[in-house]
Amino acid sequence: MLKIDNVTYTYPQSTVTYRYDLEVNPKEVIAVLGASGSGKSTLLDIMAGFLIPKEGKMMLDGVDFTSLPTAKRPLSILFQKHNLFEHLSVIKNLLLGMSSPDLSKAESILKEVGLEGYGNKMANALSGGQQQRVALARVLLRDKPVLLLDEPFNGLDSDTRKEMLALVKTMTVQNSLHTVMVTHDMSDVEAIASRAYKMRDNRLEVL
Amino acid sequence: MFEADILQTFYFTLFQAALSTFLSLLLGIVIAWSLVHQRNFWASRVSRVVLSVSIVLPVIIVAFGLIGIYGRNGWLNQAAEYLFGFSFGAFLYGLFGILLAHVYLNASYAAVTLTGAFEMIPLEQYKLSKSLGFGPWKRFWYVEYPAVKSTLYRSASTIFLLCFTSFGVVLLLGGQPRYNTLQVAIYEALRIDFDIPKTLHLALLQLTVSSLLVVAASLVTGKTGNLKQASVPIPWRESGGSAFFQKNMIFLFLIFFLLPLIEIAYEALGHDLFSVMNEPLFQKALLTSLLIATISSILSIAVSLGIASLQLKFLNRQTRVAKVLYSATAVLSNIYLAVPSLVMGFGFFLYIQAYDLDMDRWGFIAVVLSNILLSLPFATSSISPKMEQVSNRYRKLTASLGMGAAKRFFIVYLPYLLPSIGFVWALSFCFSLGDLGIIALFGSDELVTLPWYLYELMGSYRTHQAASVALILLVLVIAIFIVIPKMVGKLHAENR
Repeated sequence: MLKIDNVTYTYPQSTVTYRYDLEVNPKEVIAVLGASGSGKSTLLDIMAGFLIPKEGKMMLDGVDFTSLPTAKRPLSILFQKHNLFEHLSVIKNLLLGMSSPDLSKAESILKEVGLEGYGNKMANALSGGQQQRVALARVLLRDKPVLLLDEPFNGLDSDTRKEMLALVKTMTVQNSLHTVMVTHDMSDVEAIASRAYKMRDNRLEVL
Repeated sequence: MFEADILQTFYFTLFQAALSTFLSLLLGIVIAWSLVHQRNFWASRVSRVVLSVSIVLPVIIVAFGLIGIYGRNGWLNQAAEYLFGFSFGAFLYGLFGILLAHVYLNASYAAVTLTGAFEMIPLEQYKLSKSLGFGPWKRFWYVEYPAVKSTLYRSASTIFLLCFTSFGVVLLLGGQPRYNTLQVAIYEALRIDFDIPKTLHLALLQLTVSSLLVVAASLVTGKTGNLKQASVPIPWRESGGSAFFQKNMIFLFLIFFLLPLIEIAYEALGHDLFSVMNEPLFQKALLTSLLIATISSILSIAVSLGIASLQLKFLNRQTRVAKVLYSATAVLSNIYLAVPSLVMGFGFFLYIQAYDLDMDRWGFIAVVLSNILLSLPFATSSISPKMEQVSNRYRKLTASLGMGAAKRFFIVYLPYLLPSIGFVWALSFCFSLGDLGIIALFGSDELVTLPWYLYELMGSYRTHQAASVALILLVLVIAIFIVIPKMVGKLHAENR
């Protein structure tokens, strides 16, 4: 189980302190809702190690990862855009995410996300939906048990968005991931989340 | 076709320009990279302020300051004598001095433009590289270099052209004829040897090569990669060896940059700063410089507005002829690099001789014209894109309201262009104040500017007086560069 326990953060030159408490089970997608600037993306930045919390603990199956460097944390993160290095090929993007590059594994994962034969294409030649699929393929390749999604499907058309949400749900269940999805769209929550939290008064509340 | 000594000068001009460009870019990219990753370091904040005024530092002040530090009697040699009992001698004069001054002037320019490019890299790309466990080198190679490389190429072509046509630096720090560039060779052939045929050969060679280089440079545009919008600062602190390296680089650069300026202030303030102000020649030089700067900066604004309007006109017409004319106007704004000051000065000189005209009066006109052309590349690149933005937004509306050209300019365009005009005015004024180019051909007791007066003081070894003039010029340039945009900005705010 992923547990965020009384984690707090205050931005420099700010008086506002954000406080987070959260639990996520394996094979579960939970959603974090909130208005712009409410602090929902800050939670992901703290979990990923981009921001250092003032206090609190973050644990996976009882193992504390609060003070680990970003790359050693048991998680992958997907942003709304810029998830790929656009000047590199799809396969190069995938291999960069692996500690020991394995071409055949990368190709089989591409097939899994519906992009068989796309390996040699340049990332900037792909559509927005295809780029997010490649980014999801890299998540699978990196084999990390926690998946953080920072509004990753904004800007996609509604059909592609539905497909991507379904893919995330499938990946979460098949690979026993703990998925935390930040969104401002209630339809995303209804589509795949088993539970939802909302940022209110700088803290998370169960919805 | 060309004599051996002319070819030798040509090869050296190319060589020093290439080496200066490489070293300037190397230092510039290291400084820009360090500034972006050490935003909260105190020396970074100071460096950013210092770099913002570096573009208007007159060449002669930089050279004077460098001589004060690295010259025969400079601080470095004095320290070596005091501590170890030996002197490095006159090592500054020659290729080393030329490279040092070029790197001083152009690494700052490269650092400013590259810092902007680094800061446009989306934060998500930094987060991604951190989550994938990239070290500083891997991050640079996969994230940063691809994003800044088009800016790097553009800076390289600009710096190469500036060094290829360099005059003041080589004149002051070259030392020996074998370290002459084409520009200095033209100056010496005309002003010292009065060898018109040789000057003509040199000018033709300079003109041909410079024009080819300007055309080649215009092809270096490149794609903007993933530079999309100004990114928010990187929220975490760099740590370990790279942070140590970055902080040291920023600190050393700051010392390298500030020391020559501190030396000028020390030299000037240690003696009677104000006595030089009572010299009639100084007063004349100051007034002439201010007059030239006022006229040329106002004309620079007018000409750049004209070029920008023409570009807009051609841009909105989708014909092949319009495209050619658009490119022609772009070349027009870069004409100074194709026809450097000394070549233009030589042209003026021949014209004055042929028609037996008044040398001082026409020299004054030549200096004004040269200063306008010097400012044009920067002026048009500041005004033209802004004009294009306003046009895209209001073109249809102004057309539907039937607004005439004058009404359209004063009511619609001018309020939006005021900040750019303020910047161009300040930049052009400062460039004119500090320019030691064409004045070297026409300078006399009748036509004397501050840089020319300073050059003469340096030549006659009146170091203390030279330091006083250098400090006054430095303060004047920095004050004007800061005050004019603020003044125009206030006007802009009142108009909104």
